[in-house]
Amino acid sequence: MSSIYDSFSQALSLIFHLDAELLGIIFLSMKVSCIGLLVAVVLGLPLGVFLGIKKFRLKGILITVLNTFMGLPPVVVGLFLYLLLSRSGPLGFLSLLYTSTAMVVAQSILAFPIVAALTHSAVIGVDPVIGQASSTLGATRLQVSLAVIREARFGIVSGIVAAFGRVVAEVGAILIVGGNIAGYTRVMTTAIALETDKGNFELAVALGIILIAISLLINSVLHIVQKKGMVGVS
Amino acid sequence: MFRKAVFCLFLVLCAVVVRPVQGFAATEIICSSTTSTDNSGLFGYILPLFEKKTGIKVKVVALGTGAAIEMGKRGDADVAFVHAKEQELKAVKEGFFVNRHDVMYNDFVIIGPVDDPARIRGMKSASEAFKKIAAAGKFVSRGDKSGTNTKELQLWKMVGIEPKGQAWYIEAGQGMEKTQRVADEKRAYTLTDRGTWLATKDKDRLAMAILVEGDPMLFNQYGVMAVNPARFKGVKYKEAMEFVDWLISKEGQQTIASFKDKNGNQLFFPDAK
Amino acid sequence: MGLRLAVSGIAKSYNGDTVLRDCSFTFKEHGVYILTGPNGCGKSTFLRICALIETPDSGKIDYSLDGGLLRPDLGLRRRLTLVLPKVGVFNTSVSRNVAYGLAIRGIRSHESERRVNKALEFVQLGHKKRQNALTLSSGETQRLGIARALVIEPEILFLDEPTASVDQKNTGIIEDLILQMKKDKRTTVVMATHDREQAEKLADSVLAMKDGKFS
Repeated sequence: MSSIYDSFSQALSLIFHLDAELLGIIFLSMKVSCIGLLVAVVLGLPLGVFLGIKKFRLKGILITVLNTFMGLPPVVVGLFLYLLLSRSGPLGFLSLLYTSTAMVVAQSILAFPIVAALTHSAVIGVDPVIGQASSTLGATRLQVSLAVIREARFGIVSGIVAAFGRVVAEVGAILIVGGNIAGYTRVMTTAIALETDKGNFELAVALGIILIAISLLINSVLHIVQKKGMVGVS
Repeated sequence: MFRKAVFCLFLVLCAVVVRPVQGFAATEIICSSTTSTDNSGLFGYILPLFEKKTGIKVKVVALGTGAAIEMGKRGDADVAFVHAKEQELKAVKEGFFVNRHDVMYNDFVIIGPVDDPARIRGMKSASEAFKKIAAAGKFVSRGDKSGTNTKELQLWKMVGIEPKGQAWYIEAGQGMEKTQRVADEKRAYTLTDRGTWLATKDKDRLAMAILVEGDPMLFNQYGVMAVNPARFKGVKYKEAMEFVDWLISKEGQQTIASFKDKNGNQLFFPDAK
Repeated sequence: MGLRLAVSGIAKSYNGDTVLRDCSFTFKEHGVYILTGPNGCGKSTFLRICALIETPDSGKIDYSLDGGLLRPDLGLRRRLTLVLPKVGVFNTSVSRNVAYGLAIRGIRSHESERRVNKALEFVQLGHKKRQNALTLSSGETQRLGIARALVIEPEILFLDEPTASVDQKNTGIIEDLILQMKKDKRTTVVMATHDREQAEKLADSVLAMKDGKFS
């Protein structure tokens, strides 16, 4: 079995000679993760804000459920989604199984509770005086909510970053509903799993490095932004 | 600063989302198959030729044999290309599949440490070799209901040994190549298909050798069958049958025979009737 | 005069604790009204109810213009404002904080910039307009609160203890601002303070409060 050092050096040379297939895999990964995240944000952010601002019955239960779902095992999500989307399942007529759309759906389900729960905690972390101040200045209810969201923005972005981290590293669910079909539903993580299975450690390591590099890049950009915005809050 | 960054991120997102999906292939069918078949590289060789001829794109989902047949039974594939003849025939009888054909074969071999602690080298009977392994060696099983696993369990049954739970019996729960690597690490024996063995023994630097081969019991028949369209409306039966017909045609059979691994070994032997 | 506020029979309690009982008063003339009284006597609650961000348990808040009663809607709310004791600074620059009231009224760009600068000059914070507002001292924060309120040109400005946690120098500046407004006679100021001396110094009329009532 080749040594770790060999794997790494060969992996690096693979990275510098990116071929079309590898690029396709990287691109699909980003596409599936980004759209999944986008859907999760579009749905989860308003829910988180709503939970943070409104008072209603069963709110506590809803928040507990969301917090639990933050740790939803991806394989279980994949399995349920598979049974739903299968041709013999209730949503089989949609013919979504083994498509990138199914992977996006899985990613959204995994990211949604994270976005919603962390948005909620960011919003309740905002000093209530912010809402009152905007109200005294003549804001409508919507404008008050927006002011609170704006104050919570750094916390909300942290939530989105956490959700992106989960989505981009996810393998269990998208393997089941995507099928890891070469050129169609093969993304970085499923490719890594496959290449490890096949013993192509170099390719697996190369993909791993790229995956980590992309996450690192995105996180650093956001970290810089966060830091700039946090001036004076201490 | 924050606004600008969020805006930039949004632009990137839009770019990613909006970019058109890759060219729409005329027709696509889903073929459920086994990891060993897929890992051999056979599909990468024959499918482009088939696509060029018919315009049909075959998307392969590679699973263990059990799962591959199950996938067809749920209607999630259009065609199944697997190697567990008994299970296949049973599934056809139950009405899940139609038009099953033999396509090709390769054979199973028993591999083990080069120094062969159980002394099975050159034995003619696979089952007798299994007895000796049970007595004096260790065995790594796929443990995943794959075709290889099925064949292995059949052999244990023949000699009346119940291997499950025995200290010398390790269930890997992994694909063939990983199982070989586990066997190598554990200095154990395992049952593998010749194709996977030839394709991976050098790459994985396995300190193992073929110890038993040629027993008719070790024959590994591959078959192809279409998912029954009467059972699942969405199935692309017509295209699936084009694929089946091509595989068993003279052209398809020759293509299979001409597929060689990196070292020039022929991995699969066409035998469609 | 313009906007006129008549408060009659206001009562308010929180979890059974009575904060205000039967408060009545009419703000008729332009000028500076100072609410005095010990801490916890209900001054803040009274101001919040007058500023329409809280509703009383009973009693009436009537705003009228030239004898006609006004509905307590957004339009009316936008003619008054209250500077809270904690101000509630937004995590952004000083000038964006001040521009907020204009932005939510759809006033942007040049007009907004001009008014923001004017308000900041008035409270002597012009030189800090690019700074993040959370980095201001508590005295500067109160002045920011006043600028943020004045920029929308309210007809009635409620101030809740603007000098309570502020050093002497800033207290002086804030008192001068109020005297300036008193002189300009454009804005009615209703301010709560527990400092009797300050009240005497600034007020056109002083309202003394005790145990949730005017005495």
